[in-house]
Formats: sequence, structure tokens, C-alpha cells
Amino acid sequence: MSLWNNCLIYGVVSFGFHAFNASPTADDAVSLRRSAIVGPWRFAMGKRDAVVVLSSDDGGDEGEGEGEGALSSSRSRSKPAAKPHLARSEPRRAKKPRVSGSRSRSSSSRQSSIVDEFQFLEEDFNEVFTGAKVTTGFGRSTAKESWVDKYKPCTFEELAVHKKKVEEVKSWFEERLITSKDNLGDHVLVITGPAGVGKSATIYVVASHLGATLCEWNTPTPTVWKEYVHNSNTGQYVSKLDEFEAFVERTRKYGLISQSSAGESKSSAILLIDDLPMTHGNVARRRLQNCLHLLVQSTHIPTAILITDYGRVDSADREARFLEELHLSLESAGARKIAFNPITSNAIKRILSKICRQEKRNVASEQIDLIAKASGGDIRHAITALQFFCLKVDWPSFSSSSPTTVYDLHFGRDETISLFHALGKFLHNKRESVSPSGKDPHPMQEKFMRLPFKMDAPEKVLSQAHGQARPIADFLHENVLDFLDEEAVDDASAVLSYLGDADVLLHSFHGAVARNYEAEGVVQSAAASIAVRGVLFGNSHPLPPRWHSIRKPKLWQSEKFSLHNKDEMLRQRFMVYNGVSSIDTSVIATEYMPACKWLQHRLQAHEVMMLSTEIEDGISLDDREVKTSGDEIEEW
Amino acid sequence: MGRERERERERVSFFRSLRMAPILQSSQPWVEKYRPKQVKDVAHQDEVVRVLTNTLETANCPHMLFYGPPGTGKTTTALAIAHQLFGPELYKSRVLELNASDDRGINVVRTKIKDFAAVAVGSGQRQGGYPCPPYKIIILDEADSMTEDAQNALRRTMETYSKVTRFFFICNYISRIIEPLASRCAKFRFKPLSEEIMTSRILHICKEEGLNLDAEALSTVSTISQGDLRRAITYLQGAARLFGSSITSKDLISVSGVVIPQEVVGALLAACKSGNFDLANKEVNNVIAEGYPVSQMLSQLFEVVVEADDISDEQKARICKRLGEADKCLVDGADEYLQLLDVASNTMRALCNMPQEFSYET
Amino acid sequence: MRNIDIELTTLSSTHHVEMNPSDAGFQDRYVVQEIIKEMAKNRPIDTKGKKRFKVLVLNEVDKLSREAQHSLRRTMEKYSASCRLILCCNSSSKVTEAIRSRCLNIRINAPREDQIVKVLEFIAKKENLQLPAGFAARVAEKSNRSLRRAILSFETCRVQQYPFTINQVISPMDWEEYVSEIVSDIMKEQSPKRLFQVRGKLYELLIKCIPPEILLKRLLHDLLGKLDAELKHEVCHWAAYYEHRMRLGQKAIFHLEAFIAKFMSIYKAFLIATFG
Repeated sequence: MSLWNNCLIYGVVSFGFHAFNASPTADDAVSLRRSAIVGPWRFAMGKRDAVVVLSSDDGGDEGEGEGEGALSSSRSRSKPAAKPHLARSEPRRAKKPRVSGSRSRSSSSRQSSIVDEFQFLEEDFNEVFTGAKVTTGFGRSTAKESWVDKYKPCTFEELAVHKKKVEEVKSWFEERLITSKDNLGDHVLVITGPAGVGKSATIYVVASHLGATLCEWNTPTPTVWKEYVHNSNTGQYVSKLDEFEAFVERTRKYGLISQSSAGESKSSAILLIDDLPMTHGNVARRRLQNCLHLLVQSTHIPTAILITDYGRVDSADREARFLEELHLSLESAGARKIAFNPITSNAIKRILSKICRQEKRNVASEQIDLIAKASGGDIRHAITALQFFCLKVDWPSFSSSSPTTVYDLHFGRDETISLFHALGKFLHNKRESVSPSGKDPHPMQEKFMRLPFKMDAPEKVLSQAHGQARPIADFLHENVLDFLDEEAVDDASAVLSYLGDADVLLHSFHGAVARNYEAEGVVQSAAASIAVRGVLFGNSHPLPPRWHSIRKPKLWQSEKFSLHNKDEMLRQRFMVYNGVSSIDTSVIATEYMPACKWLQHRLQAHEVMMLSTEIEDGISLDDREVKTSGDEIEEW
Repeated sequence: MGRERERERERVSFFRSLRMAPILQSSQPWVEKYRPKQVKDVAHQDEVVRVLTNTLETANCPHMLFYGPPGTGKTTTALAIAHQLFGPELYKSRVLELNASDDRGINVVRTKIKDFAAVAVGSGQRQGGYPCPPYKIIILDEADSMTEDAQNALRRTMETYSKVTRFFFICNYISRIIEPLASRCAKFRFKPLSEEIMTSRILHICKEEGLNLDAEALSTVSTISQGDLRRAITYLQGAARLFGSSITSKDLISVSGVVIPQEVVGALLAACKSGNFDLANKEVNNVIAEGYPVSQMLSQLFEVVVEADDISDEQKARICKRLGEADKCLVDGADEYLQLLDVASNTMRALCNMPQEFSYET
Repeated sequence: MRNIDIELTTLSSTHHVEMNPSDAGFQDRYVVQEIIKEMAKNRPIDTKGKKRFKVLVLNEVDKLSREAQHSLRRTMEKYSASCRLILCCNSSSKVTEAIRSRCLNIRINAPREDQIVKVLEFIAKKENLQLPAGFAARVAEKSNRSLRRAILSFETCRVQQYPFTINQVISPMDWEEYVSEIVSDIMKEQSPKRLFQVRGKLYELLIKCIPPEILLKRLLHDLLGKLDAELKHEVCHWAAYYEHRMRLGQKAIFHLEAFIAKFMSIYKAFLIATFG
């Protein structure tokens, strides 16, 4: 049951919980205010028995340390049975995913007081519901524990991350911790990478290896509950960004000493910022950026900032641009950047087989193979999938149907992988060699006749790939010409016209129907359908199969550059033309700029020069050749 | 040079006169100055006037909906009724006038309109020779630009306060008024004004203002204003400001800034007839460079083509089909040059009996 | 309450403000409302009571969204006491009737070629340049009735070669040359591969912020100069068709490329029909 909570429907559960808790008691309000003051701190000392919890996550930390009597809200009611049961017995081993120190605690946890246990309990409890981290249920039995946490890597050997990267991180921290910390600057390490590649795990392992205290700032998830308080003005609402800013401010000014209750050796503390607060809009982003910039410049504690790159598929959007800017700004402030790659499927397979051995499960190596491949380099996902798969063993349907077709759908995580497969299918356009026998009751004209597909209906393939219409159309547009017959320029024209149709459809919902989600959905899928079927239909002379790589659309890059150039022009418009007039950018682009280029050598003293050179130095596609993505697809 | 400066001054004073700030009292827009004050003076709308005169006599009126093309006297009629019912003294307290330039979102409907509607008024005592019936009037001008939500919100207000309030809706397109509202109102359709009515009205104003219009200018006024009397008067006033008391047809056209001289349209059509693509292309370029609005060009081209005697029906059909498409494209924001060029090319193919289908399209 | 940040450059004096509200993209509505309101507040005080209003010059009004135009109409009435508007646009077709009817419409036609020649001769006189007979006329002819364009290319010619010679080359803008290159490319070979090469060139032009519709028009212009009469009709039809689609859609490249592919397809069929 707990597993279900965690990996599949915990969002729903937590939502239901908040709805349930909609009538606040006085205690809630009080405790909320307190949590706002303390901030989202979780603290643990390495190599010590007790873990000091200054405050747990936001959202529901009532009565911490006050014992059960204080818990009068419905929240306490929601879990009455588990508490005493857990608090008394069952040494829970390594239940906490978050702090390396807590793992070393496990042996001595029996001695820790009941109050301590309560604190853990509360913490866990909150964590499950706020969803800040996926944790197990309440550890009633190890069998029900999530394997992700159970097999959390503790040593370097257990890490699936590439050795070089780990070594890099380790030596970086060693330098900082062992050498004197007087050399200002360069105290921040930025680790980027997709979700589930072991960014946090690496830090934990390194920290425990070096015996350093790990202080963690975790992005709390905004909750419905908070919003309720905010709206009814009973509590003081502090946005996540404010909390983060305040935290950074404190850290910069006072270091970590003020936070750690015991005067432990301060030299070996590591600050971990695990993912950044959510930001929307330019103002918030600028604040976050400034805040981080300051942190990087002034902190004295070795700090690791983990930034998760979400799918970079739509890289032309603002979010991605912001992340990129953020990286640049951090680097310019002197932060060291290490990028983690997705974990190789071999490494994942190794880990998975090890888990299988320890759990004494018998899983066929093909299955492990499949899970590893489908995970897209996300080890967390792979382990969860494995656990889920092992649950399913009892199911009667398992042995009957062919595993490959059934299971890859359940375990597929990363859209792009299957997206590339789907694209390959569409582009290669494989067809039967003969039309089906039997007379068609409605014969079509010769030029509209096509042989039947050698695949599922395009819409089905699309839905399997979770393809979004816009990226699909862009990818098809980028790649389709490679797959056309050299002579078939008519086909090219037909295909491009259909893609144009899809584009028109996709644009249409930006205006009128924008608020109507249902209509938007229909338009989206219609556009995807037209793009895909247009490509399939238009390509009337499919080429014999051969190897092809699928490129990332150059369009995205080009859009970004032209935006950039346009901004540049707008900014310089008044300056350059002596404020004569605010001319249209198109006029600048088509008339002034080329003319300026001609006139350049004569006008060197003049400001015009500045514009033309700067923009020439600006970006053109050749300078930064788009890296062709290595996703070679083969012919199936 | 002196003439130029004078014009410049004229232009400036024209700007001032544009109903914006009451800088000069004498520059009151003629549209206001010559607005009929009595229902019976409203031009051309005989049936409407007959029904409404009856209403005025009994001082009993339903909710009303006036619709029809612009400049046909809808607002005039509504204002005249209100004035004739209440007279100048009570008018302010009894009549609320809202047009599209006021905010008329759902909030206004919920607050301002409702507040006004809810006020009770005294019973019908004749005051100063005016009937003064025991209700108030709310005039909603340009009601078709109200959102559907706002209109729906009005429904309840109308019913609740129907004892003490009458609503006059004024709109161009009755289809944009939601059915529940329309069904609560007596509907009056205003016809476009005929040329004679227009001419007589214009002549009247000319006499009052001491203007001199020749016959050609008179007919130009009525054609360029397309049955819209307000527009005709505005053009007239503009021309009078710029060109003094004797106004020619050319002056009017240049003031209107809308109509394209017939020679330009003719030249384009002639180029199409010639069958020479490059010639047509040159004409199209010329139209664009001269800054004529292409949408207007299309509608004038349409008129010329439809009326032409030397073009067969089939040719007309072929030309008009593309004209319609091009007009739609322009509304979508398509490029004017390309659309006009395509129209010209299509017209040429129709007029010279070239095949309509393209030969190399696959 | 929402806060929206919009960056907008304006040019202003004590009596006027000039700006391009369409720079703000889809948020142009707020610009129109807020700026005018702001100006109305800071009304210039003149003791002599002469200039009692400011002048606001709005460029590219035809590029404003419909909503912005609608609110412009309202604000211009509301604050008419303190500011007057001068609206500039390339074509009045795209300005709503409501705004047009509230303004005095002044159509400004492009200068004729002989007028351009006069200006060029005037400049030559001021700059002490020797103009060979007919040279100014040639510059004017190439300018497509744009005076700015004519003066720019006149200056360019001066830099490239002086004294002028009668048959001196008047070089087109670099992007125009690039378009001509594209045109000769696609007339030489019609294949998906060639189309792909052309795509790269189109991207480069788009990155330089050449507006796609101008690009398409230039393509058409060059094509029309090279084609047989019977093809011209067909090509200009498709140009109009794809430009319209481009306006409806979002990614200009899709439609530009579709036009070129269409042309290739037609031209290939034409070549086969003519030469076998």
C-alpha cells in the first residue's frame, strides 16, 4: 500500500488529505506560523546519535516534540494506529532518504528517546503528505519499504554514477573541506542533470565519506492548505521564494553556526540546496537569480546546488531559457559546474540485478534489460519499476502474453526515447508490398491510393509516445526531407503543405479557444494527426530502409537567435539612429543594417559602426553548430 | 508657401474640432448640431416614427431594441424619445446613457446599471408640458459590443425592475444580442437612407452653414458615405474646415481618405484586360505605393466588375469568387500586395479566357 | 492585482512622446492604456495657455492587436482633453473602422521616381558630388519608390565608387542578393536535397530578422523576373496562398518552405512538359 502512495497516486492522496483538513483548528494556525519563522530546515549531524530537527517541512508540522496530546487536528487522526506501533519497536533501518547522518544513526536508534522517535515520525509523516521527497510509508515492515530508499547507495561502489563524475565531486569537496577555507570564492558546486541520475545520492555519499555535516535546503511543495491560510488571512503566508531568500541571507551572514545547536566542528559542513524554489514570471526569476548569485559570491561553506534539467524538448520556451541564464550567471559568479549524464543502461542493469539478488526475486534478465532501457537513464525510476514489476509477478496474465509488447508501455519513462521510435516509424513510412485483396467498395483515384501501413494507426503510435503536437511537427519538419526520394519534389511539396496545415491549427488555439481546454485538446490531437498522416501520405515513394540519424530541429535554435537579435536591435534603435525616429525593426533589418555594412569603413567614428559590428558578432547559425543529437535510430 | 501655412492652421483647428475638447464653442460637431430633436424629424424611418409617436402620446413604452446600419438615426431616435418624455429638467435624473466607450463589463451591469434601475421614481405628473411617465430610461448604445456575460446579467435586472425602468438597446447587428434580451424588447429596424433623403438633408445643412456644393459633389457625398448620414455630415464638416465654403467632389474624396479615385481602379482593370502580367504587376505596385487601402480597392473593383456590360456572367463569377477569398485573407492579416496581385492575376485569366485551372499543379 | 513588466523605448520631448506600442507584442493593450493615462496625468502646464495638450505619436498602429485597438479607441476619447494622437501605419486596412472614423485620415503616397530624383540631386548638390546624367534616375528606379532606400543606396554608391560612372552597379542589399542566390538555386535543381540546402539559407535570413513576408515577396519578385508568363499566374497565386497561411500559423519557415517546394514541383512539371 505504501508503495502505491509513493510512486503512483500520492498526489491524489495528499490532495484528498488537504481537502479533508480544510477546517483549521487553532493549533494548525499556531504551528504554521512557527514553521514559517523557522523556515524549511532539516538538519542532521554526521556521526552522531541524535538528529536535531529544527523544523520539518511546511504544511503540517504541528506539535513537533509536544507529544501526541498536542495533536488535535484531523491530521493526527489520519494515522492513529501506526504511531505507537512504530515508535516503540522496529528499528527502522535507513528509512530516511535525506541525510547521510541519519543512516549512521540506525544502529543506535533504539536508545534514542521516544520524543526523538516522534520527531522522525512527524517528519516522515509530513514528508509523505507534502511530497517533498518520496519516502516510504511508516516502515512497518521492510518488505513494504520502497526499494528506492532501501537500496539507497551508501558507498562509492554502490553509486551508479560514472566513476569520473563521482571522483570529480569528491575531490572538489575534499579540497574545500581539508584545505583552509580562507580563499574566497569558488565555494559553490552546481550539479546539473536529468531527474534520477543520482545527484543527491552522490552528495550524500561524499558527505558521509568525508564525515561532513550535511545541511539541506529542500524545496517545499506549495500546498493547498497554505493557500487556504493565505486567503483567509489567518496565518502569515511566506512564499517559497521568500523563505529561500531569507535562508540564503542567514547563511551568508552567519554561516551555519547559528543553526546547528551543538558546536560541532564547523569545518566539515556541507550545504546542500536540493532543487530551487518554483518561480514564475520574470520578477521572481530575477530575484532567485540575484539571490543565488550573492550566495555564490559570498558563501564560505562548501555548497552544492542541484539543478534538475527537465525535458529539454521544447527548448525555445522561457523556462529553459531561464535555466540557461541561471547556469551562466552562476558560472560567472565563480561556481563550478558539473553536469551529470543519464545513467547508462548497463549500470542500471547491474544495480537492478543486485537488488533482485538481495530481495531473492527471480526476474528474467530480459526483463531487467527492458526496464533499464525504458527508464531513460533514471535509476530511481528503474528501481521503482522493478519493484512494481515484482509485485505483478502473481498476476495471471504475466506469463501468457508476450512480454515485450506489454511491458515496455508500463515502464516507459522518458518521452524522448519512444518519441524517437515513433518518429522513426513515421519517417521511414514502411508499407506492405501488396494492397489487401478484396475489392474496395469505394475505389479512390490512383494518385490518392497508398499501400497499407506496416504499423499501428499513427494516432496509436502517437499516444504511446506521448507525443505533443508541436514538437512532433517540428521534428518531422526538420527530418522529413532526408527520407524523401531524390526525384520526388512533389512529395516534398505535399508534405510541407500538410505540416503547414498542422502549424496553422496549432496556432489557432492561441487566440479564441485558449481558455477552452477541451477544444484545445481536440485541436492539438488533430494537428498532430495531420502532421503525421501528412508526412505518411505525402511521402508516396518511401525509400528502402537505411540508417538515419534524427536531428533536433534547428528551428528552435534559429528562433532563439532571431529573438535575441531582435531584442538587440530594439535596444539600440534609438541610440544608433540619433533618436531620429522609432523605426520599425523590419526597416532596420532590411535597409539600415545592410547599408551600414557598406558604409562601415567610412563611418568608423560613428555609432552606427557599433550596431553593425555587434550584430555581426551576434549569432549566426554557423558559429554554434547545432549538435546533432546522438539518437541514432536503426531500422526495425 | 502662404497657402500651405494656412492649410496647416486649418488642419490644426480641425484637430481641435474633433469632438474631443470643447476648445471652441463654434466648432461643435455638425453631427450634434443638426441632430433632430423630435422623433417626427427623424429622416426616412417612417414606420418607426409612426409607432413611436403613438407611444409618446400615451407615454407608455416597452423595452426597445433599435437595430440597423450605422448613421440611420437609431441613437437620435432614442435620445429624442427621452427628451420628449422628460424634458430638459428631468432628463438628467431619469435617463442613463452608456455607450461602448464606457466600461460595460459584467461589473458595471451588476453595479451601476442595477443601482440606477433600482431607484424608484415618482408617479406620472406632467411637468412643464412633458409627459414624465413614472419610469426611467437606460440607453445602451452599441449594445452588440457588450459581452455575452454582461448581457446575461442584464436579463435579471430587466425583469426585476421592469416597473420603474425601460431599456433601449441600440445595435448594428441584432444577431449579437442574445435571444432572451431581444425577446423582451419591441424591435425596430432602421433602413439605410436613400440617396434623395441624404441629399435633402445635406442641402439643408449646406444652406445653414453657407456652403456651396455642386451636383457632382452632392452625389459624391452620398456615395462615399454609403447611406450613413453621420459619416456624410462628418465628411462635409471636414471638407468645409479644410477647403472653405465651396467644396468640390475631389475635396470630399480626399477628406474621406477612403474612396479610391475611379481612374486608379480603371487602370488596374485595364491592365488585367490587356493580358499582360507584368503590366498588371506594375499597376498593383502602384496601388500599394500610393497607399490606397486594398480592402477598399477590392470592394470598388467588385462594384465595377459587377456593373460592367462587357463581362460575361461566368467571368464575373470567377472574378468575384477570388475577390471574396482575398477579402477574407486580408481580414486575417495577409499581405496586401500579394493578395491584390493574385486577384489581378485571377481577373486577367478570367477576362482573357485563360484556363482557370493551373496546368502544372500536381 | 497583477504586475506586468514591459520594456518599451520611447522618444519624447516636452510636447510629445513617440513610441511603437506593437513592440510589446501581445501585451500592447496595456501599453496603450497605461501610457496614455500617464500622459494625461502629467499634463503640461503652460501659463500662456497655448499648448494645453501633449502629442502622442504611435507608430505601426496596423500591427496592434484588435484588443489594443479597441482600448485605444476608448482611451483616446477618455483622455482627449490632455493629449492628441498621431497614428502612423503602412496600411489603413488593418486599422479598425472605429479608430479610423475618429481620426482625420491622411493618406501619404510614396514619392514618385521623379520626386526621388529631385531629392537625390539636391543631396548631390549639397555634398558637392558630380552626378552623371541618368544615374540618379537609376537609383530612384531601384528604390521601389522608397526615399529612404534611395538615399541609403545613393550613399552606398558614393562609398563604393566615386566619381560616379554612368553604368555603375547599384548593389542591392545583402539579403536581397542572398534571396537571388536562393532563387537561382531552386531554378537549377528541384529536389528534396536542394530544398534542404535552401532551408539553411532561409534560417540565416530569418535569424537576421528579415520579416518572412518581405522575404516571400522578394522571392516572388525575383521569380517573376525569370519565369514565363504562363507560370507567373500560378506562382503568384501560391505566394499569396502561403503568405496567408503563414499569417495564420506560427512558424514562418514551414510556410516559406512549402512555397518553395510548391514552386519546385510546378517548375519541374513545366520543364518536363516543355523539354520532355
